[in-house]
Amino acid sequence: MALKKWLDKLTLLDLFDGLSVTGRHLFKKKVTIEYPEQKKLPSDRFRGMFRLDEERCIKCTLCAIECPINIIYIDWHNEKNEAGKNEKVLDRFDVDLKRCMFCQLCEEACPTVPKSIWLTTKTYEMAAYDRNESLYLDIRKLTDWREAPNVKPFTVVERG
Amino acid sequence: MTLSPLFWTYVKVVLLVATVPAIVGFVIVLAERRIMGFMQARLGPNRVGPQGVLQGLADLVKLVTKEDITPAKAEKAVHFLAPVLAVIPALTALAVIPFGPPVRIGKNMIPLWVADINIGLLFLLAITSIGVYGIILGGWSSNNKYSLLGGLRSAAQLVSYEVPMGLALVSVLLMSRSLSLVEIVRRQEATHLWFFFPGMIAFFIYFVAGVAETNRNPFDLPEAESELVSGFNTEYSGVKFAFFFLGEYTAMIIISCVAVTVFFGGWLQPFPHVKALQFLGLVPGAVWFLLKVGGFIFAYIWFRSTFPRYRFDQLMALGWKWLIPISLANILVVAFAILLFPGRTTGLVWLSWAFSGVFVVMYLLAKLRQKLAKRDRLAAVPQTVES
Amino acid sequence: MSDDKISQAEKDEAAYFAERAKAQASAAAAQSPSASGTQDAHTLFDVQEMELNFGPQHPSTHGVLRVVLKVDGEKILEAKPDMGFLHRGTEKLFETETYPMGIPHTDRMDYVAAATSNHAFCIAVETLLQVEVPRRAQLIRVILDELQRLSSHLVWLGTSGIDLGAVTPFWYAFREREQILDFFEEYCGARLTLNCMRIGGLPFDLTPGWTERLAEFIADVPARIDDYEQLLTDNRIWKKRTVGVGVISAEECVEWGLTGPILRASGVEWDLRRARPYECYDELDFVVPTRQGGDTYDRYIVRVQEMRQSVRIIQQCLAKLEPGEIRGKVPRVIKPVAEEVYASIESPKGEIGFYCVSNGTNKPYRMHVRPPSFINLQALPRLAKGHLVSDLVALIGTIDIVLGEVDR
Repeated sequence: MALKKWLDKLTLLDLFDGLSVTGRHLFKKKVTIEYPEQKKLPSDRFRGMFRLDEERCIKCTLCAIECPINIIYIDWHNEKNEAGKNEKVLDRFDVDLKRCMFCQLCEEACPTVPKSIWLTTKTYEMAAYDRNESLYLDIRKLTDWREAPNVKPFTVVERG
Repeated sequence: MTLSPLFWTYVKVVLLVATVPAIVGFVIVLAERRIMGFMQARLGPNRVGPQGVLQGLADLVKLVTKEDITPAKAEKAVHFLAPVLAVIPALTALAVIPFGPPVRIGKNMIPLWVADINIGLLFLLAITSIGVYGIILGGWSSNNKYSLLGGLRSAAQLVSYEVPMGLALVSVLLMSRSLSLVEIVRRQEATHLWFFFPGMIAFFIYFVAGVAETNRNPFDLPEAESELVSGFNTEYSGVKFAFFFLGEYTAMIIISCVAVTVFFGGWLQPFPHVKALQFLGLVPGAVWFLLKVGGFIFAYIWFRSTFPRYRFDQLMALGWKWLIPISLANILVVAFAILLFPGRTTGLVWLSWAFSGVFVVMYLLAKLRQKLAKRDRLAAVPQTVES
Repeated sequence: MSDDKISQAEKDEAAYFAERAKAQASAAAAQSPSASGTQDAHTLFDVQEMELNFGPQHPSTHGVLRVVLKVDGEKILEAKPDMGFLHRGTEKLFETETYPMGIPHTDRMDYVAAATSNHAFCIAVETLLQVEVPRRAQLIRVILDELQRLSSHLVWLGTSGIDLGAVTPFWYAFREREQILDFFEEYCGARLTLNCMRIGGLPFDLTPGWTERLAEFIADVPARIDDYEQLLTDNRIWKKRTVGVGVISAEECVEWGLTGPILRASGVEWDLRRARPYECYDELDFVVPTRQGGDTYDRYIVRVQEMRQSVRIIQQCLAKLEPGEIRGKVPRVIKPVAEEVYASIESPKGEIGFYCVSNGTNKPYRMHVRPPSFINLQALPRLAKGHLVSDLVALIGTIDIVLGEVDR
């Protein structure tokens, strides 16, 4: 046994084995995805950027209650519609994206079918140069992303 | 018109000083990063130019335009001098290295080395020792006790590993009977035997000591990032850091060049007497030299990406307790081989066969043992791990 | 609090601090000056201590950890970890939110192994609610846990290697980890902060094809682990850096309360998956790797072997999967009975437990976490004594801490 260990030590076998591992990897195919020319396709359950559908929303504020960090701010008031009944009208639906952790609990809490607030599954690029202006999404920006210039909808797919 | 040899010497010096730092900055740095990347299952830098060829230029521009900081209480003169002392010896050592056989330009035979002094090896060892001053002074002049410690550790490492390096080259000296590098190459040509074969052990010792001399992985503790003491070049930025960097990489080139010259035949083509491979003679000697040096630089990069690093006391123990006794024993063995047989080369040929045979047999035995051990281990997988 | 109570509290506080200041002043006067190496009371051979800061910003502390070192030359005399840089008040947040809202916060404690933290939280609340988790959910939870164990050990392997100079295992380990994170992303939508378990089971069922692709990936993993082992396990330099570094005996481990691979590498065969089986671990066949030495090399071997065993567990669970329910019957508003429970599972770092005190409302009265990294970090001063500064990085790596869990 001692002779065998001595043999290993003398022939530097462990070092040559290590060199062979890196040597083999030199010629293997690389898995690098060269962003931004190539982008990975997020899965169908990926928690991406928010969207709101104002018509479907029933203003139950369950999403605001369920949010673990309380970043959804909802204001509504009652108005009499044509039929004379009380109807909730949304004044303010703000999401503070600076602090959002994209946990999806608000989407799970939403009772409408299909959901009125949901996390889209492909868009994740929303970097901005200023925090307070661009990362505070009001109802306009949530319903129509063209109002939020820092949100880039997912378009280019070259390698998935 | 025959130009005086002095003119050609000037041309060669200018060419060396102009091209070698450029090659270091543009080729070696990029090669290191790309090849290390490839070995690590990723691509290296490939955005700056096509395939990243301008990365060296980007690094150079960055380093040159950086603010030159000198610590407040540092010794200004020494702080300025230390990087210079690290670079100049490395560049000077290039003077004695033969890059190829003499070429014909016009009517002259121009040798491809700046100077062929008859104490070439000794000159090289002496000049690279001066480079240690750059490190010590760099560490000391920064007025930072951590850089001082790093610099001293680095200097101790360099000085300790010069001994086995020198002793390994002594055994080559026995084979070649001359310190002049050109003469060593010519002897290898004459005896049709590259000194790697009888000097296998000397080569391994020389290369390991060479890696330690240049502070490269696995001996780069003094400049590792994950250590507290980040080494002698903590307080250097900008051009001065670029000089230290350049000095280190040029030393890498020197060590590789010497290894090629002394052990691998310098500019000689492999298999000169095999008829089937005569076409190799069409490649000029200088190109062979560059290819071989490139192979060694690749080995440097390969080592860097594979091995963990030694702790400082283990590093010193390796140098003093293992490399020096082995290199001394190697000198004895080579001397015996030369004296035991008639003529000078017979002994060396016997030694080559002995070394190769023993090494190959031991390697095969070790591999066989490894295969058997793996088979036994796999048969026992579901049970608890052996202690 | 009424006004007079507040002023009384303020007076008490002022008195306490005054007492403390007096005690410190007298202690300082009684002590001889030592830490700055002044020459007056010392002879030539006295210990010259230097106090160093292995600062919060350092590439090797795996987060923001400050270690205050007292060194004599290179030898460490004392190493005191100073944590708290990443404290976010997680346990207080648990008290102000309902039970389901607490799960995303558990992700962020041990962010490298989020599924096990989620799992422990869910088990604690399920024990209080006496909810039975259906079998399919149990199997999938085990699969997610073991995938997370594999992923956490890959991070440990990579960072441990880099700290000691081996730069390549990091990239190989992270290449595997990318694929594991892709599986998580496909299942629950996020790669790191998973939020992948709910009270009573799981939020979603598996996507079609997930199990096939996972089986294919898992079949390749042992070969990749062989690669890492070939680079490190027999390497003489690696052995020199890790054998004999940070030896801790079995009795000391038990005394300090260390759990996880540290305990198992010192000879104590204690794994919660075997000793206190939860979910369906009692029907799975796996080995608990144990070694006797207690040094860094043994911990390395134990973790690598655990990676291999995780592969086996996942393969067995995939074979046992059958269609079924993924969430037990849980009321809409979760209001457990007013009881206390402590539930713990085996996370990659050790035993993670949640001590939940409920008062009958929908928010916990107290939710305390037993973080394995925090408790294992206690052992750092004991491990580091007598070693060199260069070994400190190896030791922090071998304890395998994640600062999110240490500081919560």
